[in-house]
Amino acid sequence: MRSRIREFDNSTLNESVRNTIMRDLKAVGKKFMHVLYPRRSNTLLRDWDLWGPLILCVTLALMLQKGSVDNEKDGGPQFAEVFVIVWFGAVTITLNSKLLGGNISFFQSLCVLGYCILPLTVAMLICRLVLLAEAGPVNFMVRLFVVIVMFAWSVVASTAFLADSQPPNRKVLAVYPVFLFYFIISWMILTFTPE
Amino acid sequence: MLQQDSNDDTEDVSLFDAEEETTNRQKKPKIRHPVASFFHLFFRVSALVVYLLCELLSSSFIACMVTIILLLSCDFWAVKNVTGRLMVGLRWWNHIDEDGKSHWVFESRKASSQENKNISEAEARIFWLGLIACPVLWVIFAFSALFSFRVKWLAVVIMGVVLQGANLYGYIRCKVGSRKNLTSMATSYLGKQFLKQVKHWR
Repeated sequence: MRSRIREFDNSTLNESVRNTIMRDLKAVGKKFMHVLYPRRSNTLLRDWDLWGPLILCVTLALMLQKGSVDNEKDGGPQFAEVFVIVWFGAVTITLNSKLLGGNISFFQSLCVLGYCILPLTVAMLICRLVLLAEAGPVNFMVRLFVVIVMFAWSVVASTAFLADSQPPNRKVLAVYPVFLFYFIISWMILTFTPE
Repeated sequence: MLQQDSNDDTEDVSLFDAEEETTNRQKKPKIRHPVASFFHLFFRVSALVVYLLCELLSSSFIACMVTIILLLSCDFWAVKNVTGRLMVGLRWWNHIDEDGKSHWVFESRKASSQENKNISEAEARIFWLGLIACPVLWVIFAFSALFSFRVKWLAVVIMGVVLQGANLYGYIRCKVGSRKNLTSMATSYLGKQFLKQVKHWR
């Protein structure tokens, strides 16, 4: 971990604030696009950032609140619960994949797992809209279908990035915790009912 | 009266001259980037203030939590990407090369004569003060939340400790640079302090 000075990066030491902001925003936007259309792309992994996961986690946690937000006895623990589940789960999966000998770095893995929550966040949004309509078996079937589709999308998107970093005989071992992680989040989304 | 006035005049003139001379010699304005300095302190201090006053400000735990989280993230980004560069000329980031290995890069701007971008004392003081004081406060809050069983705040406090501690660690490594190992520098500093104390007692 020596300190290195890269010639071509000297410009970022003196660039304007506006450039820094635009650069980071574009990087976040690009990653969201990559999640929506998953392709094997190594260049995406190299510029990791945790903004997307943070935004998605906060949005998901806000949407998973029961009742009104301004209430005295509001869903405080639930909000922190979602946060803890997402981040602790992502850290656990990353440790698991590192212990299995994967050559992906800690933050890259957190980045991928966080960004791939995007389909499930969209599913949550759709479920909330669907729940505005009349409750019933049709309602439930629609939500179930949406959640299953988005769950599959999340798993496919994240394994497209993560599976490559594992040796071939360990791929399933590395992928099943990802499956479990998104399953838990999907379960939270599916069983959500606003009171 | 007139004499006093003339005395005052001469005094004023001589003082003015002296000031001009020193400013010409040093050429270090007080604060070069007032906006950056303001934002460096603003996000950190307001996150602390919101945490302390959350019960008074809003009855909603979630609103406070989301606000603190957003403030902490903005502060992390601003300190890491903007204020460090502008105020003290240091930068740290993570670089992943083609083999997939990750390197942490710690950069410091070399003082080059043609740029004349000296670091002003006041800015450096503001920067390091803000950088060191706030994580220490968050650590204190972490212990207080733990021991007073306000566990629901623990997530936010830990996030504060981690984010601000990361910036502190990154910038200290930039400052120390590749000259010396961090631990050897710390031990030599502590050793010197200890020797000073011993001398005092004797």
